[in-house]
Amino acid sequence: MGSSAVLLVEDNDINRDMLTRRLTRAGLTVLTAADGVSALNMMREHQPGVVLMDMTLPILDGWEATQQAKADSAISEIPIIALTAHAMAADKARAIEAGCSEYETKPIDFPILLAKIYQFLEGADT
Amino acid sequence: MLGMDLIPLLGNLKQQSADWLADDLSALSIAIERLNAMVSSGETNRHDLLNAVAAVKGYAEMLLDSNEAVIAPVRSAIMEITDALTHTTATPEALPAVTRSLETFEGCTILVVDDLPENLDLMSRLLGKMQCEVVTAASGREALDLLDKTEIDIVLLDLVMPDIDGREVLAQIKADDQLRALPVIMISGRQDMDQIIDCIQVGADDYLLKPVNSVLLSARIKSGIERKRWHDKEEQYREQLEKREQFIRQTFGRYISDAIVEEILEKPEGLQLGGDLRNVTLMMSDIRSFTTLVEHLPPEQVVALLNRYLGKMTDIILRHGGTIDEFLGDAVLAAFGAPSRSEHHATQAVTCAIEMQAAMAEVNAENKADGLPEVEMAIALNTGEVVAGNIGSEQRSKYGFVGHQVNVTSRIEDDALPNEILVSEQTLLAIDEGQFIVGDSRTVHAKGMAGTLTVYPIDGVSNDG
Repeated sequence: MGSSAVLLVEDNDINRDMLTRRLTRAGLTVLTAADGVSALNMMREHQPGVVLMDMTLPILDGWEATQQAKADSAISEIPIIALTAHAMAADKARAIEAGCSEYETKPIDFPILLAKIYQFLEGADT
Repeated sequence: MLGMDLIPLLGNLKQQSADWLADDLSALSIAIERLNAMVSSGETNRHDLLNAVAAVKGYAEMLLDSNEAVIAPVRSAIMEITDALTHTTATPEALPAVTRSLETFEGCTILVVDDLPENLDLMSRLLGKMQCEVVTAASGREALDLLDKTEIDIVLLDLVMPDIDGREVLAQIKADDQLRALPVIMISGRQDMDQIIDCIQVGADDYLLKPVNSVLLSARIKSGIERKRWHDKEEQYREQLEKREQFIRQTFGRYISDAIVEEILEKPEGLQLGGDLRNVTLMMSDIRSFTTLVEHLPPEQVVALLNRYLGKMTDIILRHGGTIDEFLGDAVLAAFGAPSRSEHHATQAVTCAIEMQAAMAEVNAENKADGLPEVEMAIALNTGEVVAGNIGSEQRSKYGFVGHQVNVTSRIEDDALPNEILVSEQTLLAIDEGQFIVGDSRTVHAKGMAGTLTVYPIDGVSNDG
Protein backbone atom coordinates (compact mmCIF):
# COMPACT_ATOMS: atom_id res chain seq x y z
CA MET A 1 0.00 0.00 0.00
CA GLY A 2 2.52 2.65 1.17
CA SER A 3 4.75 4.14 -1.48
CA SER A 4 8.44 4.74 -1.02
CA ALA A 5 7.93 8.51 -1.05
CA VAL A 6 8.81 10.65 1.94
CA LEU A 7 6.43 13.44 2.93
CA LEU A 8 8.32 16.36 4.46
CA VAL A 9 6.12 18.69 6.50
CA GLU A 10 7.99 21.88 7.33
CA ASP A 11 6.80 25.49 7.39
CA ASN A 12 10.25 27.04 7.30
CA ASP A 13 10.88 27.48 3.59
CA ILE A 14 14.65 27.40 3.73
CA ASN A 15 14.73 24.26 5.87
CA ARG A 16 12.14 22.63 3.68
CA ASP A 17 14.28 23.40 0.64
CA MET A 18 17.46 22.18 2.34
CA LEU A 19 15.97 18.87 3.50
CA THR A 20 14.24 18.31 0.17
CA ARG A 21 17.59 18.67 -1.60
CA ARG A 22 19.38 16.36 0.78
CA LEU A 23 16.70 13.68 0.74
CA THR A 24 16.37 13.85 -3.03
CA ARG A 25 20.11 13.59 -3.37
CA ALA A 26 19.99 10.48 -1.16
CA GLY A 27 17.72 8.92 -3.75
CA LEU A 28 14.35 9.46 -2.12
CA THR A 29 11.17 10.79 -3.67
CA VAL A 30 10.16 13.79 -1.59
CA LEU A 31 6.71 15.34 -1.25
CA THR A 32 6.31 18.52 0.78
CA ALA A 33 3.65 20.26 2.82
CA ALA A 34 3.93 23.44 4.87
CA ASP A 35 1.14 22.99 7.40
CA GLY A 36 -0.70 20.25 9.28
CA VAL A 37 -3.86 20.34 7.20
CA SER A 38 -2.10 19.98 3.86
CA ALA A 39 0.07 17.28 5.44
CA LEU A 40 -3.02 15.21 6.27
CA ASN A 41 -4.42 15.77 2.79
CA MET A 42 -1.13 14.73 1.19
CA MET A 43 -0.98 11.62 3.37
CA ARG A 44 -4.48 10.59 2.31
CA GLU A 45 -3.84 11.32 -1.34
CA HIS A 46 -0.30 9.94 -1.77
CA GLN A 47 0.08 7.38 1.05
CA PRO A 48 3.80 8.16 1.56
CA GLY A 49 6.01 5.47 3.09
CA VAL A 50 7.07 7.77 5.90
CA VAL A 51 6.35 11.31 7.11
CA LEU A 52 8.88 13.78 8.52
CA MET A 53 6.81 16.15 10.62
CA ASP A 54 7.97 19.45 12.03
CA MET A 55 6.00 19.97 15.23
CA THR A 56 5.51 23.74 15.18
CA LEU A 57 3.35 24.27 12.14
CA PRO A 58 0.76 26.88 11.21
CA ILE A 59 -2.99 26.15 10.91
CA LEU A 60 -2.69 22.70 12.52
CA ASP A 61 0.43 21.89 14.53
CA GLY A 62 2.44 18.66 14.23
CA TRP A 63 1.09 17.05 17.41
CA GLU A 64 -2.49 17.68 16.44
CA ALA A 65 -1.86 16.51 12.85
CA THR A 66 -0.18 13.32 14.15
CA GLN A 67 -3.09 12.57 16.45
CA GLN A 68 -5.55 13.06 13.62
CA ALA A 69 -3.46 10.85 11.33
CA LYS A 70 -3.36 8.09 13.94
CA ALA A 71 -7.13 8.31 14.34
CA ASP A 72 -7.76 7.95 10.61
CA SER A 73 -7.60 4.29 9.61
CA ALA A 74 -6.73 5.21 6.00
CA ILE A 75 -3.38 6.70 7.08
CA SER A 76 -2.87 5.55 10.67
CA GLU A 77 -0.26 2.99 9.64
CA ILE A 78 2.07 5.55 8.04
CA PRO A 79 5.02 6.05 10.39
CA ILE A 80 5.71 9.62 11.43
CA ILE A 81 9.12 10.91 12.43
CA ALA A 82 8.84 14.06 14.49
CA LEU A 83 11.33 16.84 13.82
CA THR A 84 11.65 19.00 16.90
CA ALA A 85 13.83 21.91 17.88
CA HIS A 86 16.08 20.77 20.65
CA ALA A 87 15.32 23.67 22.92
CA MET A 88 12.03 22.02 23.65
CA ALA A 89 12.90 18.57 24.90
CA ALA A 90 9.39 18.17 26.25
CA ASP A 91 8.10 18.47 22.70
CA LYS A 92 9.71 15.14 21.92
CA ALA A 93 7.85 13.44 24.72
CA ARG A 94 4.67 15.00 23.47
CA ALA A 95 5.46 13.83 19.95
CA ILE A 96 5.85 10.24 21.10
CA GLU A 97 2.63 10.49 23.07
CA ALA A 98 0.82 11.93 20.05
CA GLY A 99 1.76 8.80 18.10
CA CYS A 100 5.03 9.60 16.35
CA SER A 101 7.16 6.51 15.85
CA GLU A 102 10.44 8.36 16.06
CA TYR A 103 11.83 11.84 16.53
CA GLU A 104 14.88 13.75 15.46
CA THR A 105 16.14 17.02 16.81
CA LYS A 106 17.15 19.99 14.75
CA PRO A 107 19.72 20.52 13.46
CA ILE A 108 19.16 17.13 11.92
CA ASP A 109 21.83 14.47 12.15
CA PHE A 110 21.28 13.51 8.55
CA PRO A 111 22.81 9.98 8.47
CA ILE A 112 20.70 8.97 11.46
CA LEU A 113 17.57 10.48 9.95
CA LEU A 114 18.27 8.58 6.73
CA ALA A 115 18.78 5.33 8.65
CA LYS A 116 15.43 5.79 10.34
CA ILE A 117 13.69 6.61 7.08
CA TYR A 118 15.12 3.52 5.38
CA GLN A 119 14.21 1.41 8.38
CA PHE A 120 10.56 2.39 7.95
CA LEU A 121 10.58 2.12 4.17
CA GLU A 122 12.17 -1.32 4.28
CA GLY A 123 9.91 -2.41 7.11
CA ALA A 124 6.93 -1.62 4.87
CA ASP A 125 8.26 -3.85 2.10
CA THR A 126 8.46 -6.99 4.16
CA MET B 1 30.11 37.09 11.55
CA LEU B 2 29.64 33.46 11.01
CA GLY B 3 30.34 32.38 7.47
CA MET B 4 30.19 35.87 6.02
CA ASP B 5 33.74 35.49 4.58
CA LEU B 6 32.42 32.59 2.66
CA ILE B 7 29.82 34.52 0.70
CA PRO B 8 32.17 36.01 -1.95
CA LEU B 9 34.01 32.70 -2.24
CA LEU B 10 30.73 30.96 -2.84
CA GLY B 11 29.86 33.59 -5.42
CA ASN B 12 33.08 32.95 -7.33
CA LEU B 13 32.71 29.25 -7.16
CA LYS B 14 29.13 29.40 -8.34
CA GLN B 15 30.19 30.90 -11.67
CA GLN B 16 32.43 27.97 -12.50
CA SER B 17 30.05 25.25 -11.34
CA ALA B 18 27.45 23.05 -12.86
CA ASP B 19 23.89 24.32 -12.50
CA TRP B 20 22.88 22.06 -9.65
CA LEU B 21 26.03 22.82 -7.68
CA ALA B 22 25.66 26.55 -8.32
CA ASP B 23 22.15 26.27 -7.03
CA ASP B 24 23.28 24.48 -3.85
CA LEU B 25 25.95 27.10 -3.31
CA SER B 26 23.50 29.98 -3.58
CA ALA B 27 21.13 28.18 -1.24
CA LEU B 28 23.92 28.05 1.33
CA SER B 29 24.68 31.75 0.77
CA ILE B 30 21.05 32.64 1.31
CA ALA B 31 20.88 30.53 4.47
CA ILE B 32 24.02 32.16 5.89
CA GLU B 33 22.73 35.64 5.07
CA ARG B 34 19.40 34.93 6.66
CA LEU B 35 20.97 33.59 9.84
CA ASN B 36 23.24 36.57 10.10
CA ALA B 37 20.38 38.95 9.44
CA MET B 38 18.46 37.37 12.31
CA VAL B 39 21.42 37.61 14.65
CA SER B 40 22.07 41.27 13.77
CA SER B 41 18.43 42.21 14.25
CA GLY B 42 18.60 40.75 17.78
CA GLU B 43 16.21 37.92 17.12
CA THR B 44 15.66 35.96 20.34
CA ASN B 45 13.11 33.36 19.32
CA ARG B 46 15.13 30.22 19.92
CA HIS B 47 13.02 28.11 17.66
CA ASP B 48 13.45 30.43 14.67
CA LEU B 49 17.17 30.81 15.30
CA LEU B 50 17.56 27.08 15.46
CA ASN B 51 15.74 26.65 12.19
CA ALA B 52 18.13 29.12 10.56
CA VAL B 53 21.15 27.34 12.04
CA ALA B 54 19.74 23.99 10.94
CA ALA B 55 19.43 25.23 7.37
CA VAL B 56 23.02 26.49 7.19
CA LYS B 57 24.33 23.28 8.70
CA GLY B 58 22.19 21.18 6.43
CA TYR B 59 23.27 22.89 3.20
CA ALA B 60 26.89 22.92 4.34
CA GLU B 61 26.90 19.19 5.10
CA MET B 62 25.17 18.49 1.85
CA LEU B 63 27.89 20.34 -0.08
CA LEU B 64 30.61 18.49 1.78
CA ASP B 65 28.88 15.23 1.00
CA SER B 66 28.67 16.05 -2.71
CA ASN B 67 32.47 16.16 -2.64
CA GLU B 68 32.64 17.51 -6.11
CA ALA B 69 34.36 20.60 -7.36
CA VAL B 70 34.13 22.26 -3.98
CA ILE B 71 37.48 23.99 -3.94
CA ALA B 72 39.68 23.64 -0.89
CA PRO B 73 39.24 27.10 0.71
CA VAL B 74 35.47 26.82 0.34
CA ARG B 75 35.62 23.37 1.77
CA SER B 76 37.55 24.38 4.85
CA ALA B 77 35.32 27.41 5.37
CA ILE B 78 32.24 25.20 5.19
CA MET B 79 33.79 22.75 7.62
CA GLU B 80 34.46 25.62 9.99
CA ILE B 81 30.77 26.43 9.88
CA THR B 82 29.62 22.88 10.46
CA ASP B 83 32.09 22.46 13.32
CA ALA B 84 30.99 25.68 14.95
CA LEU B 85 27.37 24.74 14.61
CA THR B 86 27.94 21.22 15.91
CA HIS B 87 29.46 22.68 19.07
CA THR B 88 26.72 25.19 19.65
CA THR B 89 24.01 22.62 19.15
CA ALA B 90 25.55 19.63 20.89
CA THR B 91 24.00 17.60 23.74
CA PRO B 92 20.40 18.12 22.75
CA GLU B 93 19.28 15.34 25.06
CA ALA B 94 20.87 16.95 28.08
CA LEU B 95 18.70 20.03 28.09
CA PRO B 96 16.52 20.19 31.17
CA ALA B 97 12.85 19.97 30.50
CA VAL B 98 11.28 22.48 32.77
CA THR B 99 8.11 22.99 30.80
CA ARG B 100 6.59 19.72 31.82
CA SER B 101 6.27 18.01 35.16
CA LEU B 102 7.28 14.39 35.38
CA GLU B 103 4.66 11.70 35.62
CA THR B 104 4.77 9.30 38.51
CA PHE B 105 4.56 5.54 38.31
CA GLU B 106 3.85 4.23 41.77
CA GLY B 107 4.04 0.49 42.20
CA CYS B 108 6.07 0.10 39.01
CA THR B 109 9.30 -1.86 39.42
CA ILE B 110 12.08 -0.97 37.02
CA LEU B 111 15.29 -2.87 36.52
CA VAL B 112 18.21 -0.65 35.53
CA VAL B 113 21.20 -2.44 34.05
CA ASP B 114 24.46 -0.53 33.68
CA ASP B 115 28.06 -1.41 34.43
CA LEU B 116 28.91 2.11 35.62
CA PRO B 117 27.89 2.84 39.23
CA GLU B 118 27.45 6.56 38.53
CA ASN B 119 24.97 5.79 35.77
CA LEU B 120 23.03 3.47 38.06
CA ASP B 121 23.00 6.17 40.69
CA LEU B 122 21.81 8.85 38.28
CA MET B 123 19.10 6.64 36.87
CA SER B 124 17.93 5.58 40.33
CA ARG B 125 17.57 9.24 41.28
CA LEU B 126 15.62 10.05 38.12
CA LEU B 127 13.32 7.07 38.55
CA GLY B 128 12.96 7.79 42.25
CA LYS B 129 11.51 11.17 41.32
CA MET B 130 8.88 9.32 39.32
CA GLN B 131 8.19 7.18 42.39
CA CYS B 132 9.25 3.96 40.70
CA GLU B 133 10.69 1.05 42.61
CA VAL B 134 14.23 0.67 41.30
CA VAL B 135 16.22 -2.55 41.14
CA THR B 136 19.77 -2.27 39.78
CA ALA B 137 22.14 -4.73 38.16
CA ALA B 138 25.79 -3.95 37.44
CA SER B 139 26.19 -6.58 34.72
CA GLY B 140 24.24 -8.56 32.17
CA ARG B 141 24.66 -11.74 34.20
CA GLU B 142 23.31 -10.07 37.34
CA ALA B 143 20.36 -8.71 35.34
CA LEU B 144 19.39 -12.13 34.02
CA ASP B 145 19.65 -13.65 37.52
CA LEU B 146 17.45 -10.88 38.93
CA LEU B 147 14.85 -11.31 36.20
CA ASP B 148 14.60 -14.96 37.14
CA LYS B 149 13.47 -14.26 40.67
CA THR B 150 12.02 -10.74 40.77
CA GLU B 151 8.80 -9.38 39.30
CA ILE B 152 9.93 -6.55 36.99
CA ASP B 153 7.71 -4.22 34.92
CA ILE B 154 10.27 -2.56 32.65
CA VAL B 155 13.98 -3.01 31.93
CA LEU B 156 16.30 -0.10 31.13
CA LEU B 157 19.25 -1.79 29.53
CA ASP B 158 22.65 -0.25 28.83
CA LEU B 159 23.94 -1.37 25.46
CA VAL B 160 27.67 -1.47 26.11
CA MET B 161 28.71 -3.66 29.04
CA PRO B 162 31.75 -5.85 29.63
CA ASP B 163 30.58 -9.43 30.31
CA ILE B 164 27.23 -9.95 28.58
CA ASP B 165 26.34 -6.86 26.60
CA GLY B 166 22.90 -5.27 26.35
CA ARG B 167 22.09 -6.89 23.04
CA GLU B 168 22.78 -10.38 24.41
CA VAL B 169 20.71 -9.72 27.57
CA LEU B 170 17.91 -8.49 25.30
CA ALA B 171 18.16 -11.59 23.11
CA GLN B 172 17.96 -13.86 26.14
CA ILE B 173 14.93 -11.99 27.49
CA LYS B 174 13.15 -12.26 24.15
CA ALA B 175 13.98 -15.97 23.87
CA ASP B 176 12.42 -16.71 27.26
CA ASP B 177 8.69 -17.53 27.21
CA GLN B 178 8.19 -16.09 30.69
CA LEU B 179 10.00 -12.83 29.97
CA ARG B 180 9.25 -12.19 26.32
CA ALA B 181 6.50 -9.64 27.00
CA LEU B 182 8.65 -7.57 29.33
CA PRO B 183 9.24 -4.11 27.80
CA VAL B 184 12.95 -3.41 27.28
CA ILE B 185 14.27 0.10 26.64
CA MET B 186 17.85 0.25 25.36
CA ILE B 187 20.13 3.02 26.60
CA SER B 188 23.10 4.02 24.49
CA GLY B 189 25.22 6.74 23.02
CA ARG B 190 24.33 8.26 19.68
CA GLN B 191 27.41 6.65 18.09
CA ASP B 192 25.85 3.21 18.63
CA MET B 193 22.87 3.87 16.39
CA ASP B 194 23.59 0.82 14.23
CA GLN B 195 23.49 -1.45 17.22
CA ILE B 196 20.32 0.24 18.47
CA ILE B 197 18.61 -0.50 15.17
CA ASP B 198 19.82 -4.07 15.51
CA CYS B 199 18.38 -4.26 19.05
CA ILE B 200 15.02 -2.98 17.85
CA GLN B 201 15.00 -5.81 15.34
CA VAL B 202 15.82 -8.28 18.10
CA GLY B 203 12.79 -7.01 20.02
CA ALA B 204 13.75 -3.93 22.05
CA ASP B 205 10.63 -1.83 22.60
CA ASP B 206 12.33 1.52 22.63
CA TYR B 207 15.62 3.30 23.15
CA LEU B 208 17.01 6.35 24.85
CA LEU B 209 20.19 8.21 24.10
CA LYS B 210 22.71 9.25 26.74
CA PRO B 211 22.61 11.54 28.58
CA VAL B 212 19.08 10.47 29.32
CA ASN B 213 16.44 13.14 29.30
CA SER B 214 14.01 12.69 32.16
CA VAL B 215 10.90 13.74 30.23
CA LEU B 216 11.61 11.30 27.43
CA LEU B 217 12.39 8.62 29.95
CA SER B 218 9.05 9.24 31.62
CA ALA B 219 7.18 9.11 28.29
CA ARG B 220 8.83 5.84 27.38
CA ILE B 221 8.18 4.25 30.73
CA LYS B 222 4.56 5.28 30.35
CA SER B 223 4.24 3.67 26.95
CA GLY B 224 6.09 0.56 28.21
CA ILE B 225 3.69 0.17 31.12
CA GLU B 226 0.76 0.62 28.79
CA ARG B 227 2.11 -2.06 26.48
CA LYS B 228 2.67 -4.49 29.34
CA ARG B 229 -0.81 -3.81 30.69
CA TRP B 230 -2.34 -4.69 27.32
CA HIS B 231 -0.26 -7.81 27.12
CA ASP B 232 -1.33 -8.85 30.63
CA LYS B 233 -4.96 -8.28 29.71
CA GLU B 234 -4.55 -10.41 26.63
CA GLU B 235 -2.92 -13.10 28.74
CA GLN B 236 -5.84 -13.00 31.19
CA TYR B 237 -8.32 -13.35 28.39
CA ARG B 238 -6.41 -16.30 26.98
CA GLU B 239 -6.47 -17.99 30.40
CA GLN B 240 -10.22 -17.50 30.62
CA LEU B 241 -10.63 -19.11 27.24
CA GLU B 242 -8.47 -22.00 28.34
CA LYS B 243 -10.57 -22.47 31.46
CA ARG B 244 -13.72 -22.53 29.38
CA GLU B 245 -12.16 -25.04 27.07
CA GLN B 246 -11.19 -27.20 30.02
CA PHE B 247 -14.73 -26.99 31.36
CA ILE B 248 -16.16 -28.17 28.04
CA ARG B 249 -13.63 -30.98 27.95
CA GLN B 250 -14.50 -32.11 31.45
CA THR B 251 -18.24 -31.90 30.88
CA PHE B 252 -18.25 -33.85 27.67
CA GLY B 253 -15.06 -35.85 27.94
CA ARG B 254 -16.64 -38.79 29.70
CA TYR B 255 -19.32 -39.22 27.10
CA ILE B 256 -17.77 -38.03 23.88
CA SER B 257 -14.51 -38.81 22.18
CA ASP B 258 -11.67 -36.27 22.23
CA ALA B 259 -12.03 -35.70 18.51
CA ILE B 260 -15.63 -34.59 18.94
CA VAL B 261 -14.80 -32.38 21.93
CA GLU B 262 -12.16 -30.82 19.71
CA GLU B 263 -14.80 -30.19 17.09
CA ILE B 264 -17.19 -28.63 19.59
CA LEU B 265 -14.42 -26.33 20.78
CA GLU B 266 -13.46 -25.36 17.29
CA LYS B 267 -16.94 -24.52 16.05
CA PRO B 268 -19.36 -24.32 18.91
CA GLU B 269 -21.95 -22.76 16.64
CA GLY B 270 -21.90 -25.83 14.39
CA LEU B 271 -23.36 -28.02 17.09
CA GLN B 272 -26.86 -27.65 18.34
CA LEU B 273 -26.86 -29.10 21.79
CA GLY B 274 -30.21 -27.51 22.53
CA GLY B 275 -32.09 -30.32 20.84
CA ASP B 276 -32.65 -31.35 17.26
CA LEU B 277 -34.02 -34.24 15.27
CA ARG B 278 -31.09 -36.33 14.11
CA ASN B 279 -30.58 -39.48 12.11
CA VAL B 280 -28.24 -41.63 14.21
CA THR B 281 -27.31 -45.24 14.79
CA LEU B 282 -28.14 -46.29 18.34
CA MET B 283 -26.25 -49.00 20.14
CA MET B 284 -27.46 -50.91 23.14
CA SER B 285 -25.37 -53.58 24.79
CA ASP B 286 -25.49 -55.60 27.98
CA ILE B 287 -24.08 -58.65 29.66
CA ARG B 288 -26.45 -61.57 29.40
CA SER B 289 -27.84 -62.83 32.74
CA PHE B 290 -25.62 -60.40 34.58
CA THR B 291 -27.85 -60.25 37.64
CA THR B 292 -27.88 -64.02 38.04
CA LEU B 293 -24.12 -64.21 37.46
CA VAL B 294 -23.18 -61.76 40.12
CA GLU B 295 -25.83 -62.69 42.66
CA HIS B 296 -23.33 -64.46 44.87
CA LEU B 297 -20.36 -62.16 44.33
CA PRO B 298 -19.28 -59.65 47.00
CA PRO B 299 -20.15 -56.06 45.98
CA GLU B 300 -16.57 -54.93 45.37
CA GLN B 301 -16.06 -57.80 42.93
CA VAL B 302 -19.23 -56.83 41.09
CA VAL B 303 -17.90 -53.29 40.76
CA ALA B 304 -14.46 -54.54 39.66
CA LEU B 305 -16.05 -56.75 37.01
CA LEU B 306 -18.31 -53.98 35.74
CA ASN B 307 -15.57 -51.37 35.63
CA ARG B 308 -13.24 -53.62 33.69
CA TYR B 309 -15.93 -54.43 31.18
CA LEU B 310 -17.36 -50.90 30.88
CA GLY B 311 -13.88 -49.38 30.77
CA LYS B 312 -12.88 -51.48 27.76
CA MET B 313 -16.18 -50.91 25.96
CA THR B 314 -16.10 -47.15 26.60
CA ASP B 315 -12.64 -46.90 25.08
CA ILE B 316 -13.72 -48.75 21.96
CA ILE B 317 -16.97 -46.76 21.53
CA LEU B 318 -15.22 -43.41 21.93
CA ARG B 319 -12.47 -44.46 19.55
CA HIS B 320 -15.08 -45.15 16.88
CA GLY B 321 -16.69 -41.75 17.36
CA GLY B 322 -19.65 -42.91 19.40
CA THR B 323 -21.31 -40.86 22.13
CA ILE B 324 -22.27 -42.66 25.30
CA ASP B 325 -25.72 -41.67 26.46
CA GLU B 326 -25.93 -43.80 29.54
CA PHE B 327 -24.60 -46.70 31.61
CA LEU B 328 -27.40 -48.63 33.27
CA GLY B 329 -25.76 -51.23 35.41
CA ASP B 330 -24.14 -53.51 32.87
CA ALA B 331 -25.99 -51.95 29.93
CA VAL B 332 -24.63 -49.21 27.68
CA LEU B 333 -26.66 -46.91 25.45
CA ALA B 334 -24.58 -45.10 22.87
CA ALA B 335 -25.16 -43.28 19.59
CA PHE B 336 -23.16 -42.63 16.46
CA GLY B 337 -23.79 -39.50 14.35
CA ALA B 338 -24.41 -36.99 17.17
CA PRO B 339 -23.56 -34.48 18.43
CA SER B 340 -21.03 -34.41 15.65
CA ARG B 341 -22.59 -35.26 12.30
CA SER B 342 -21.23 -38.20 10.37
CA GLU B 343 -22.32 -39.70 7.08
CA HIS B 344 -21.22 -43.19 7.98
CA HIS B 345 -22.61 -43.54 11.47
CA ALA B 346 -24.14 -46.99 10.76
CA THR B 347 -20.86 -48.38 9.43
CA GLN B 348 -18.98 -46.83 12.36
CA ALA B 349 -21.43 -48.47 14.79
CA VAL B 350 -21.21 -51.93 13.20
CA THR B 351 -17.39 -51.82 13.05
CA CYS B 352 -17.37 -50.71 16.66
CA ALA B 353 -19.71 -53.53 17.73
CA ILE B 354 -17.48 -56.14 16.05
CA GLU B 355 -14.46 -54.82 17.89
CA MET B 356 -16.39 -54.80 21.17
CA GLN B 357 -17.32 -58.44 20.78
CA ALA B 358 -13.73 -59.31 19.91
CA ALA B 359 -12.52 -57.54 23.06
CA MET B 360 -14.66 -59.79 25.22
CA ALA B 361 -12.03 -62.53 24.95
CA GLU B 362 -9.59 -60.24 26.69
CA VAL B 363 -12.13 -59.21 29.34
CA ASN B 364 -12.85 -62.83 30.10
CA ALA B 365 -9.19 -63.84 30.21
CA GLU B 366 -8.64 -61.16 32.84
CA ASN B 367 -11.78 -62.19 34.70
CA LYS B 368 -10.61 -65.76 34.76
CA ALA B 369 -7.22 -64.78 36.13
CA ASP B 370 -8.95 -62.83 38.91
CA GLY B 371 -11.35 -65.64 39.72
CA LEU B 372 -14.30 -63.72 38.34
CA PRO B 373 -17.01 -65.30 36.21
CA GLU B 374 -16.74 -65.12 32.41
CA VAL B 375 -19.40 -62.96 30.77
CA GLU B 376 -21.18 -62.79 27.40
CA MET B 377 -22.37 -59.60 25.76
CA ALA B 378 -25.20 -58.91 23.35
CA ILE B 379 -25.33 -55.82 21.15
CA ALA B 380 -28.26 -54.31 19.27
CA LEU B 381 -27.96 -51.61 16.61
CA ASN B 382 -30.73 -49.55 15.09
CA THR B 383 -30.72 -46.55 12.77
CA GLY B 384 -33.34 -43.82 12.76
CA GLU B 385 -34.33 -40.38 13.94
CA VAL B 386 -34.07 -39.37 17.55
CA VAL B 387 -34.24 -36.12 19.43
CA ALA B 388 -30.70 -35.35 20.50
CA GLY B 389 -29.85 -32.61 22.95
CA ASN B 390 -29.10 -31.56 26.48
CA ILE B 391 -31.81 -33.20 28.49
CA GLY B 392 -32.43 -32.81 32.19
CA SER B 393 -33.12 -30.20 34.81
CA GLU B 394 -31.15 -27.08 35.56
CA GLN B 395 -29.21 -28.91 38.24
CA ARG B 396 -28.36 -31.86 36.13
CA SER B 397 -28.52 -32.22 32.43
CA LYS B 398 -26.53 -34.15 29.90
CA TYR B 399 -26.39 -34.73 26.23
CA GLY B 400 -28.70 -37.63 25.39
CA PHE B 401 -31.21 -39.14 22.99
CA VAL B 402 -34.93 -39.77 23.24
CA GLY B 403 -37.57 -41.09 20.89
CA HIS B 404 -39.35 -44.18 19.60
CA GLN B 405 -36.14 -45.53 18.00
CA VAL B 406 -34.54 -45.80 21.45
CA ASN B 407 -37.38 -48.15 22.46
CA VAL B 408 -37.05 -50.12 19.20
CA THR B 409 -33.33 -50.61 19.91
CA SER B 410 -34.16 -51.84 23.36
CA ARG B 411 -36.58 -54.43 21.90
CA ILE B 412 -33.94 -55.71 19.49
CA GLU B 413 -31.48 -55.93 22.34
CA ASP B 414 -33.94 -58.07 24.30
CA ASP B 415 -33.93 -60.52 21.41
CA ALA B 416 -30.17 -60.59 20.82
CA LEU B 417 -28.36 -63.77 21.77
CA PRO B 418 -25.19 -63.94 23.85
CA ASN B 419 -22.14 -62.88 21.78
CA GLU B 420 -24.42 -61.65 19.02
CA ILE B 421 -24.60 -58.32 17.15
CA LEU B 422 -28.18 -57.85 16.01
CA VAL B 423 -29.06 -54.95 13.71
CA SER B 424 -32.35 -53.54 12.46
CA GLU B 425 -33.27 -53.39 8.77
CA GLN B 426 -32.65 -49.61 8.80
CA THR B 427 -29.10 -50.15 9.97
CA LEU B 428 -28.51 -52.86 7.39
CA LEU B 429 -29.76 -50.50 4.68
CA ALA B 430 -27.38 -47.80 5.86
CA ILE B 431 -24.23 -49.92 5.67
CA ASP B 432 -22.39 -51.40 2.76
CA GLU B 433 -23.61 -54.98 3.11
CA GLY B 434 -20.67 -56.39 1.19
CA GLN B 435 -18.34 -55.14 3.90
CA PHE B 436 -19.80 -57.39 6.57
CA ILE B 437 -20.89 -61.00 7.00
CA VAL B 438 -24.66 -60.80 7.46
CA GLY B 439 -26.51 -63.78 8.88
CA ASP B 440 -30.08 -64.95 8.24
CA SER B 441 -32.83 -62.53 9.12
CA ARG B 442 -35.38 -63.22 11.76
CA THR B 443 -38.49 -61.53 13.04
CA VAL B 444 -38.87 -59.86 16.37
CA HIS B 445 -42.29 -59.39 17.90
CA ALA B 446 -41.99 -56.24 19.88
CA LYS B 447 -44.22 -55.91 22.84
CA GLY B 448 -46.44 -52.85 22.68
CA MET B 449 -45.52 -52.06 19.09
CA ALA B 450 -47.59 -52.50 16.02
CA GLY B 451 -46.24 -55.13 13.60
CA THR B 452 -42.93 -56.95 13.70
CA LEU B 453 -39.30 -56.02 13.16
CA THR B 454 -36.93 -57.79 10.81
CA VAL B 455 -33.44 -58.07 12.31
CA TYR B 456 -30.11 -59.41 11.07
CA PRO B 457 -27.14 -60.80 12.95
CA ILE B 458 -23.72 -59.48 11.88
CA ASP B 459 -21.12 -62.16 12.12
CA GLY B 460 -18.03 -60.13 11.37
CA VAL B 461 -16.14 -58.24 8.70
CA SER B 462 -16.33 -59.76 5.25
CA ASN B 463 -12.94 -60.74 3.86
CA ASP B 464 -13.89 -59.93 0.28
CA GLY B 465 -15.52 -56.63 1.31
